[in-house]
Amino acid sequence: MASKKLLSRRRFLQGVTAATAASMLPCRLLVPGTAQAAGFDQNEFQVFRNACPRNCYDTCSIKTYVKDGVIQFIEGAPESTYTDGGLCVKGYSYTRRPYSPDRIKYPMVQDGRRTGKWRRVSWDEAMDRIAGKIMELKERDGSLLGLGMTKYSGNFGITNYGVEGLMSSLGYTTRFVGTPCWPAGIDAQNYDLGNMWCNDPEDMVKARYVIIWGANPAWCSVHSMKYIMEAKRRGAKILVIDPVFTQTAAKGDVFWQPKTASDGALALGMARHILDKGLVDRAFVENNAQGFEEFAAYLRENVTVEWAAEQSGIPAEEIREVAEEFAQADPATIWIGYGMQRHTNGGASVRSIDALVAMTGNVGKEGGGARYGHLQTWGFNYNAFIQKQPEGSVGFTGPAAKGEFDLTEGRQASYSDRTVNINKTAQAILDTKDPAIRMLWVSCKNPFAQDFDRPKLEKAFDTLEMVVSVEQFFTETVANSDIVLPVTTLFEEWTVNASYWHYWLSINEQAIKPLHEAKSNLEIGAALSRKMNELAPGSCTLPTEIDTREWTAKEFNQGIYDLFGINDWTDLKNGPVKAKLASSAAWHDMKFGTPSGKYEFRSDLCAEHGHKALPEFKKGRESYDKFRLLTPHTKFGIHSQFVNLDWMKEYNKEPFVYMHPKAAAGKGINDLDMVRVFNKVGEQKARVKLTDNVTEDCLLIYEAWFGKGTTFNVQNLVDDESADMGAYKAGAPGVAIHDQFADIERA
Amino acid sequence: MKKQYAFLVDSERCIGCFTCAMACRNYYHQEEGVVWRQVYPLSEEIYPHRERAFLSLACNHCEDPACLNVCPVNAYTKREEDGVVVHHQEKCIGCGNCIRSCPYGAPKYNPVEKRAEKCSFCHERLDAGLKPACVQSCPTKALQLVDLAEMQQTNQVQYPAGYPKMEKLNPSTRFILPKTPKMVRR
Repeated sequence: MASKKLLSRRRFLQGVTAATAASMLPCRLLVPGTAQAAGFDQNEFQVFRNACPRNCYDTCSIKTYVKDGVIQFIEGAPESTYTDGGLCVKGYSYTRRPYSPDRIKYPMVQDGRRTGKWRRVSWDEAMDRIAGKIMELKERDGSLLGLGMTKYSGNFGITNYGVEGLMSSLGYTTRFVGTPCWPAGIDAQNYDLGNMWCNDPEDMVKARYVIIWGANPAWCSVHSMKYIMEAKRRGAKILVIDPVFTQTAAKGDVFWQPKTASDGALALGMARHILDKGLVDRAFVENNAQGFEEFAAYLRENVTVEWAAEQSGIPAEEIREVAEEFAQADPATIWIGYGMQRHTNGGASVRSIDALVAMTGNVGKEGGGARYGHLQTWGFNYNAFIQKQPEGSVGFTGPAAKGEFDLTEGRQASYSDRTVNINKTAQAILDTKDPAIRMLWVSCKNPFAQDFDRPKLEKAFDTLEMVVSVEQFFTETVANSDIVLPVTTLFEEWTVNASYWHYWLSINEQAIKPLHEAKSNLEIGAALSRKMNELAPGSCTLPTEIDTREWTAKEFNQGIYDLFGINDWTDLKNGPVKAKLASSAAWHDMKFGTPSGKYEFRSDLCAEHGHKALPEFKKGRESYDKFRLLTPHTKFGIHSQFVNLDWMKEYNKEPFVYMHPKAAAGKGINDLDMVRVFNKVGEQKARVKLTDNVTEDCLLIYEAWFGKGTTFNVQNLVDDESADMGAYKAGAPGVAIHDQFADIERA
Repeated sequence: MKKQYAFLVDSERCIGCFTCAMACRNYYHQEEGVVWRQVYPLSEEIYPHRERAFLSLACNHCEDPACLNVCPVNAYTKREEDGVVVHHQEKCIGCGNCIRSCPYGAPKYNPVEKRAEKCSFCHERLDAGLKPACVQSCPTKALQLVDLAEMQQTNQVQYPAGYPKMEKLNPSTRFILPKTPKMVRR
């Protein structure tokens, strides 16, 4: 009867046997007309712990309800005060992800890149081809530097560092290092404070004044919004500074819409006014900081509020009012978003904002802080990451940059991996010689949706002899690959996840068996190791059998147990735990990680690295086209992830270009017209939405990949210009994603 | 007044994140194109900025439901104990009367089942002492479960601008209107 009919309509279960699906409805949608429906009964389910591994502030802890080996539904872990029983729109679509009909189900080989002529091969055949190519490169070049690996943040589960581990276990290879995300700001905070370390976001409720500067938590960190709203309810003023009237801005008390990339001037103008008004926290700058008097002298000589007003477009009167309110509120805090540092002056701007927070005595204070991010809870063993090269491996002998996670300290080797800038992927592939990058391994990353100057990237990929992608969906990167290997979703492997924002730690259990022929990154490594050792014993040091549960266990140590107050990693099966913090404030003990041990308004290290010692104003990039082009995140995805799912498309059907009505009138463009946005990099078509959320000189397109049947890609319009900082801590400078310009016309 | 469960939609707190909508889909796995809960941006005539204020809407579980009144086969019941309007799909003959009659568009046509369906208020969760999936999911508590019999009358409204005023049906959903920040633009 009813249940059979229901079964037939659950198409998401294609690929799962009918017998399994028989009792899969989580609810009792169909109830007798006269009787009461039976209440929800948790005992009907097996409940597993999962954790969202995406590159997102929130890193949500998930409870997964499974029946007969099939995920029925998920929810946020109630144990975490941060997730508080909920997820986000992306998180709730996870129920669909493993069962998506678009998922890559088995290893496949493409006969000719971008032809779409894919055919299924066995894991053995796939590994045979890959291993054969690796052997050939070694033979030809005398090293494995012709093998490149590009990996970033597609899956932050700790065991996914097994991708790097696999590369090391083969020999010395070429690594794409750096991060497109946050490096300019990381360096800035390292110069000022000696590390990137932020207050517990939950303590924002204590703030009396909150500035959200170039961040959009209403979309990109939904669980942080409740703390901002609670601070507001308790009387704090919320100021949002952004070139776009964002959803977060709509929830604040005041919205400032300055000229893009004028953030440094704005912060310095406020600093000058605070100085003039005698509102500086003297105790802090005298006891806990170095170089404040020099900074004050710089402000007096070079900065006025009127100048800041002219640079930013925010009236001087406003700047004065906010500066005074901010300096007098106790505590006051600034959330420094990753958006505002994606500029050629981004690092300098972050330093100016740090200075504003520090001079008002809000660093090291609960409810205060210059909040950017932290890696305080990432003290894992990186057992998957650290692997030994085979005996006799030949590598690179020049100066190699270290990436974000440099764990090689103290390890002596005559060779190293060769490093190239991840933010110039296309150029690096084209330029690298002796040996050239001949083969590329891509995992946890979708370069064609994420790396810059996509037309150039296509040319660069065409020079590669073999591209292997490890993926869940047929992305554009897969289309530009020769072999694709199906990788597990979070529900199909063991791992552990920490956040770079909050202080909760979550285990990720294997909730269901891998569907189809998917393997985890670690298991793929083991499969390749098996093949390599079969063909040439000793050519790969990675174990040939890997159990992701065991490898997850190996990542834990006493330091983590002590930090989180647990006795064993299996305690996390009872729910996520929060770090036991001496204070919710970063730098609460005023022991800064800088060379002087103090907060450094004057950073000699920064000067040694080619920047100004003081947080001086730096001009932004000169315009190269008619409109400023912004390509920030959408709420429906994380970069290219989630947007392609059919469930998500129910609510987000197509991409748009957002444009101010006055600017559109000048171009004869009407609402919902199809338009062409173009610049020196390339062009992109989409329909237009007219809105005053953007200024007249701005075009906005949300970054995302819409999946099959579309060629939409904002990277057709974004060049690979570098930000000012990032090389110090991330291995390569950041990228000036928001320093882009373009023109527009009706298509 | 009898107990009447209702959704309280606080547009001042709502960030338009669509979490509630996806939480519903996560729980019920509706067919493609069948949406029980939708998040609607308010038009610029109502809120002066595009796509920055929203109403999250599902079934209103009306006091006098049109769907129930027009159904020829008694596929709808209104629960005595809490006012939840339940659609019993196994009785439904797919005639579409409810879909045509509901001025709020709550019942949807399921093209696979060839019958109607709509928001159930997660009554089986309510009966187990749990919140509806959408309510539990909301990261800002902008969507809440309230009992109209007990709700304090403060700033809620029943018929915000743009929302059909159907006094005979007496829809249960209540709203709190959004505010705009002070704007400082260059």
